Amino acid sequence: MSRPNARRFEEVVLPHLDEAYTLARYLVRDEHDAQDIVQDATLRALRHFEGFRDGDARAWLLTIVRNCCFTHRKRHRVDRSSVSLTDDVVAGIVGSRATDQLAIESSERERLHAAVMTLPPELREVIVLRELNDLSYREISDVVGIPMGTVMSRLSRARERLAGALGAGAKEAS
Amino acid sequence: MTCQQCTDSLHAFVDDELLPEEMDEVRAHLDSCASCARAHATIQNTSRQLRAELMRYPAPDVLKARIRASLAAEDVADEVQPTTSTPTRARRLSPSWSRFAAAVVVAAVIGSAATATVVRRDDASRALAGDVLASHIRSLMPGHLTDVASTNEHNVKPWFNGRVNLSPPVPRLDSAGFPLIGGRLDYVDGHPAAVVVYMRGQHVINVFWSPASERASAATSAPSEIDDNGYHLVRGRHDGLEYWIVSDLNRPDLATFQRRLDAEASRGSAEPR
Repeated sequence: MSRPNARRFEEVVLPHLDEAYTLARYLVRDEHDAQDIVQDATLRALRHFEGFRDGDARAWLLTIVRNCCFTHRKRHRVDRSSVSLTDDVVAGIVGSRATDQLAIESSERERLHAAVMTLPPELREVIVLRELNDLSYREISDVVGIPMGTVMSRLSRARERLAGALGAGAKEAS
Repeated sequence: MTCQQCTDSLHAFVDDELLPEEMDEVRAHLDSCASCARAHATIQNTSRQLRAELMRYPAPDVLKARIRASLAAEDVADEVQPTTSTPTRARRLSPSWSRFAAAVVVAAVIGSAATATVVRRDDASRALAGDVLASHIRSLMPGHLTDVASTNEHNVKPWFNGRVNLSPPVPRLDSAGFPLIGGRLDYVDGHPAAVVVYMRGQHVINVFWSPASERASAATSAPSEIDDNGYHLVRGRHDGLEYWIVSDLNRPDLATFQRRLDAEASRGSAEPR
């Protein structure tokens, strides 16, 4: 890669690192893995930067980060099975917490965070891309590689679940 | 518009993803239908709450520093690619391995590049400078930056006791904009070195401390500043110790850092113990 290109890469792609890191944190749920993935994704982006014309650099970087996260999950099959186990366990804990003293102590923010983290990955990613990264349905459809109709149905499923978690917490707290 | 049609469009309505005329139709229906209006309020509240309360994670400075270092390294790797097939091969391996392999290759390439530069200028400190730069780049890989991570000099300084046969000054330079990050042990030129790590914005600054050896007297004629591929190496001495400062930080800021380090180190050693 030529130096001017490298400089353009720094100007066009690197400003989106915070959003890339946020997405990775939610998808792999581990600080160190998320750092490794964002670094890896950025290097991949650099290598394919020649092929990137004037498009949406943010959506492009997020696509690569998203794919690296899912590759990471597949590669760590052992982890994945333990993750899905953890999902259930955490969901169980979150559920029982609602009837527990802990629910009153844990803030709404923590409950919301736990609820998002225990969503299945395909729902979690659309929530993060929409609510935190503020992507349009068209952009989410490009990043995730699904039709716009599917973006909408996943978003609605995700929000219903989260509204349920919030509602349960609110009732418990009152 | 029927309630079913409205319900189907509610999420797209909240996300402002409908055509203008569809937005109007939903709005009109919501005005006249209490149950759809309740459903709409729930969705809107959920979305607002998520946006307001979910944690956004800014990329840590260490990650940014690592990425900048690996971009610089990639630049160098590409330049040497015609003469070696190693980086290309490394890329076909799994990502983590290719990253590791590429970093090692690149560290070696930069190490040798640094070496080549230094050879032209001075022979005595050549191995050392190459080693120091390679160590700096290695330190930016995941989990390699610090053995003891602390912003408190009273944690970092004692940590070196018994691990290395020197006690480097560990001044706090926060007030000058160089927060302390921690320390680690490293090997430079075949000897253990005490490394104190600072940051400036997204830039990592490694200070390698080692005893000023007999070689050092020969090296006093060596250049005290070396620039290589965007990295700066600065050499100095203090109280029987020799140090190398390495960073991709710009020259003026690095000069400020060295001035403050020298000043604070001397102040520390002048204090009664």
